[in-house]
Amino acid sequence: MRPCPCSHAFLCVAAFCSLGALRCAAQVDPWEFEVYPYSTTPRGMAEFETDNSVVTSGHDEGGEGTAAGTIRSQGMWSNAYEFSYGLTDRIEGAIYLNMAQPDGGGLRWAGDNIRLRGRLFDQGVLPVDVGWYAELEWHKTPQFDDAMRELEFRPILEKDVGAFSILVNPKFEKVLAGVGHDQGFEFGYDAGIHYRWTRALSPGLELYGGAGLVDQLGPLNGQQHYVFPVVWGELPHGLEYNFGAGYGLTHGSDRVIVKSNLELERFVGALFKASADSGWFF
Amino acid sequence: MAEPGGKETSFEIRFSDHHFTPQTLVVPAGQPLVLTVVNSSHERIEFESFKLNREKVVGPGETIKVRLPALPAGTYDFFDDFHPDVAEGEIVAK
Repeated sequence: MRPCPCSHAFLCVAAFCSLGALRCAAQVDPWEFEVYPYSTTPRGMAEFETDNSVVTSGHDEGGEGTAAGTIRSQGMWSNAYEFSYGLTDRIEGAIYLNMAQPDGGGLRWAGDNIRLRGRLFDQGVLPVDVGWYAELEWHKTPQFDDAMRELEFRPILEKDVGAFSILVNPKFEKVLAGVGHDQGFEFGYDAGIHYRWTRALSPGLELYGGAGLVDQLGPLNGQQHYVFPVVWGELPHGLEYNFGAGYGLTHGSDRVIVKSNLELERFVGALFKASADSGWFF
Repeated sequence: MAEPGGKETSFEIRFSDHHFTPQTLVVPAGQPLVLTVVNSSHERIEFESFKLNREKVVGPGETIKVRLPALPAGTYDFFDDFHPDVAEGEIVAK
């Protein structure tokens, strides 16, 4: 695959973000093309979400592009079904079911995740809003991912500038069991700029990448970096969407991925009262 | 870090009888603000503003604070996301 000339600027940004932490065929999670904002699921709310992606132009061998297992990425559908609950005004919990459908095959289980995500202080207290994310992922499906258990941490950073929201999620992932368990942390990123135009329809630009091991350099062209122009908004009955097409910027990336995320929030009952205004964690 | 009660100017929005008061809140442009949202109704609401990128659940009898940066002159929406029939309000910065 040949990256287009306009991708060079993105590669420079990606290289800067990588801070020298590189490994070929670094993992990008095809079940979660979503950039997390600072805000969490509101207290007492349940959120049902499905994140879907399909590689319309990918690689023909396993272990390349977004395929972390033995099955090739070309034609692969990835479907994540997520349930989140707002525990407090600042912390949410979530569980995921990940499914995959290889090109010409049926839908199969590909793993599960649990995670906690939170925000520190109230929005607007710090110059940049800061949140956190901790996730445990497990699967015994080497055809989709040769790691069996993984732990992931992210700081979540958000800054609103007028009608723009700038979101950055650096990702640090450690394989606990399976291939790579004896290695250190992998580094990746999700980032985005969202413009608030109307509630029904707004544009955005999202970036996703996997750079490799934090302590091991690798060639930039072997990493994965994607740019996704997206549209997002809210449909009737509170159904929120985020649709986009992602373009790989390096040889190690799949060439084109299409994503569609849908979510619906409903109040189901709060366990706790409003968080203290002077608090910063709970 | 912005200190509560420091340079921020405070305003109150109250929800009762299924509507917000005031419906139009005029605030000074160019100054950080703190909105105190008082829910004196028996309904649970979600105070939300799309343009200001804010949302927070407010239970019956609860009071919350919403911090806003210095706003350019303009009009900004706010609404109760739990009740689409509740009339939207607006914050006018000038």
